[in-house]
Amino acid sequence: MSLRQSMAGLHTWAGLLVSWLLFTILFAGSLACFDKELTRWMQPSLHPPAGQPLSADQVRDWLHTRAPDAHAWWMRPPGPREPWWRAGWEPDGGEFQAFQLHAVTGEPLPKSVGGDFFFTLHYDLHAGLNGMYVVAAAAILMLVALISGVIIHRRIFQDFFTLRPQATRQRAWLDAHNVLGVLGLPFHLLMAYTGLAIFVITYMQAGIRVAYQGDAVRFDTEVQRSWEREDIGQPAPPPVSLDGLIVQAQRTWGDGGTAGWISVHHPADAAAVVSIRRRDDSRITDDQRTVSFDAASGALLHVQPPYDPGYRTFAWMTGLHMAQYGGQWVRGLYLLLGLAGCLMLVSGVQLWLAKREARGGLGLGLVRGLNAAVLGGLPLASLALLWANRLLPSGLPGREHWEVRAFLFTWTASIVWAALPLRRDRRTRDQLLLGALLALGLPLLSVVRAPQGHLGVSLARGDWALAGVDLVLLATGAVCALLSRRLGRVQAPAPTPPQRLAEESA
Amino acid sequence: MISVSNSTGAAAGIALRLVAAAVGGYGLAYTATAFLSVWLPLARTDRVMFASLASFAVYTGAILYAFAARSPWRACWVLSALCGVLALGAFLPGGFGARP
Repeated sequence: MSLRQSMAGLHTWAGLLVSWLLFTILFAGSLACFDKELTRWMQPSLHPPAGQPLSADQVRDWLHTRAPDAHAWWMRPPGPREPWWRAGWEPDGGEFQAFQLHAVTGEPLPKSVGGDFFFTLHYDLHAGLNGMYVVAAAAILMLVALISGVIIHRRIFQDFFTLRPQATRQRAWLDAHNVLGVLGLPFHLLMAYTGLAIFVITYMQAGIRVAYQGDAVRFDTEVQRSWEREDIGQPAPPPVSLDGLIVQAQRTWGDGGTAGWISVHHPADAAAVVSIRRRDDSRITDDQRTVSFDAASGALLHVQPPYDPGYRTFAWMTGLHMAQYGGQWVRGLYLLLGLAGCLMLVSGVQLWLAKREARGGLGLGLVRGLNAAVLGGLPLASLALLWANRLLPSGLPGREHWEVRAFLFTWTASIVWAALPLRRDRRTRDQLLLGALLALGLPLLSVVRAPQGHLGVSLARGDWALAGVDLVLLATGAVCALLSRRLGRVQAPAPTPPQRLAEESA
Repeated sequence: MISVSNSTGAAAGIALRLVAAAVGGYGLAYTATAFLSVWLPLARTDRVMFASLASFAVYTGAILYAFAARSPWRACWVLSALCGVLALGAFLPGGFGARP
């Protein structure tokens, strides 16, 4: 068996087995490029442009009245993409409490999962550490599929210019798979690798074991060059102004950097520490250079030195994956290349099906069912989540859980429908039609439910971040409607007998 | 090409390659990370970071090798032997890896 043959088998099976999992990860990750814009879209009270935002001192007062004895307070000022305050606290031994505050009024916003839902789905499937390991396994197999794909590819350049959509079904899917695979290859390789790198310390502890005798805390402190001060058990004197400390931190950085995360550790103690992290969206590597002050006297306690080369490389890889640098055009490119990856997976699975439909084989029904359940079900469930967001009353207790339930209910319904022998030959058409209705309906629904942020208003305001969400929904709906019509026309004549190809029968 | 075959021999061969890829691959990634964390001529934080970041490349390479090797048994013993050599290099020097 030649190398190319064994790699072809590996490519087919490593790719197929994780296709649906990877589709979920890539789809959620692509949407997560615009998580902050989605969060704002999902909070109608953030739609009108905000005025003078709350000061950091006012947010600290807000935290003080709610959690005076917290282990630590955290806050993050509004930015161009996030016109709201984030604030929260860590109770001693309890779970982290997080809020979004209206930038001007300081009111906590109605609970909503926001764009974070897709971000979390992307990296741990909402299943915590176990989910992270599943995602990591999928990412390793993605690397294997990509590299074995390159090895079996004889004419990487010619194939890029070869697209025969009118050819036999199998040939057309193969061309599509090749074009999308080659087009996205550098991006997909980088994303798979840097995505794994983000949690490298969780996945690979060998280095800490031999070089730090397993002391992970010591390693973390050393690489991040972080600094802490223990509490001393005495009550805290009145604190100095946080806003003044922010100005002082900016003077310390001296490069126009602005404040990102601000934390107050053991705020009720005389040894309370204010730490201010720099936020830098202009570079791939955001080193978050932290400045720490004494909360009571305002004395400068510590300035975090630059990272060592190893950790800087890690931060560069993380930054490359997270796409917080470079502005909306870079994020738009990430979104498109991510979706190209989704289509590469779809065409790969269709290619597998087209080949086996010709000669029959095991698992055809299972693969078709999984396609309907995941490739159709996940986008429909995502649209259902947005519908729930618009329809649920803002005062509903546990509102964010109902959003998730709408998502899960729709996905479960898609899975059940995929398993039942109902309208099987028209399944894709039905799903596309439903997707078109859901996507086109959302901008209309917003006219009623988000009067200060629907498309007419946001376009008139030149508010492209907000209008963009609705425009993408309209485009998605239009594409779904067109495809559904086209499928209806293609299926009408009797199917031509499938043709087998001697070549590339992986 | 790997296909669903009637021959039990072929199925056993694929199962063996799968084990070599998953277990042997992780073993090789683990021991290579440990080995590099001890022996790279760098400061301790950099040794650990660079070695750890390289581990996924090692894992991927090992999986590809497990399916490219001439025979399933060969994949198993080559990966095991490499793991053994790297583990000896990483764990024998004792406290040397913990130098700053």
